[in-house]
Amino acid sequence: MKNLVLTFLLALLVVLTAISVRRLVVGTVTAAPAPGAIAIGTSPIPWPPPEPTPQKPNA
Amino acid sequence: MDSNLASYILQYAGYLLEGGLVCYLAGSSQWKRHRATAFYVSCLLVAELSRVYALQKFGLRSAQYLSVYWTTDFLLVISLFILVCLFFRRACLHEEKMWRFVRLLLVFVGVLVVGISGLTFSHNYSHLFLRFVTEFNQNLYFTCLVLNTLLYLLLQQIESTDEQLGLLVCGVGIQFAGPAATLALLHLTDHEHFAQSLGPSFIRLCTVVMLLVWAYAITRIKEKAIQVSRSKNPILAEVTAD
Repeated sequence: MKNLVLTFLLALLVVLTAISVRRLVVGTVTAAPAPGAIAIGTSPIPWPPPEPTPQKPNA
Repeated sequence: MDSNLASYILQYAGYLLEGGLVCYLAGSSQWKRHRATAFYVSCLLVAELSRVYALQKFGLRSAQYLSVYWTTDFLLVISLFILVCLFFRRACLHEEKMWRFVRLLLVFVGVLVVGISGLTFSHNYSHLFLRFVTEFNQNLYFTCLVLNTLLYLLLQQIESTDEQLGLLVCGVGIQFAGPAATLALLHLTDHEHFAQSLGPSFIRLCTVVMLLVWAYAITRIKEKAIQVSRSKNPILAEVTAD
């Protein structure tokens, strides 16, 4: 049981380290694919069109 | 040199190397011995062929190519995780106790990545699959980067004599670390034009270098009997002890 908990904590440490490295390297994390996402392979990477930003209401 | 020309050269060099490696492994009856590498290179080749077909048929900016690309990337990241797991298995071939510990760790890591990536469901419900796939791909990619680094340290710790595995792990390390370093440069230079133009070519270059290192490891390095000196690894002995 102790080993199981230790293994789980180590796995959590690995995953959280990976996500921290990702945030550190990429800067801001976007949910949709955007320049700043890593892809595998040598084919050209397609990026989706940017979502329209809401316009500010006129004063 | 024009960056577009360099990108094309690297793109087709990647296809050629993938095809060449698969043919070599199939032709020289080494498929079974190198099943981890063969599995991943085959997945890479099939994914690239699907992408080329979608690119030729629908074009770079089409929604179909976008879906094909990120779905195949999803499958490739999963196969990369399986590859790292198989490399761990090979490193712990004569260390059953350690393998039981590592196997459990890898299962937990897989479950945690799926769980943490699933948190994207709470953000936004539009383009749900694409959002989950992207989040999952990026998280699993960086997790594999950390796991590969741990595997390299493990190989040093147990003083593995399997030179071929060492080179294969180094190849995967190039594939992981190169794009991560490029992204860090992009972030540090605040997406300057130079870094932006360098990025895609460098990521392709890393894949090509990984394939070249693997080709060298498979064709030139003979597999030796794996001998592990267990007496000199007190730290791992403590960790894996019941």
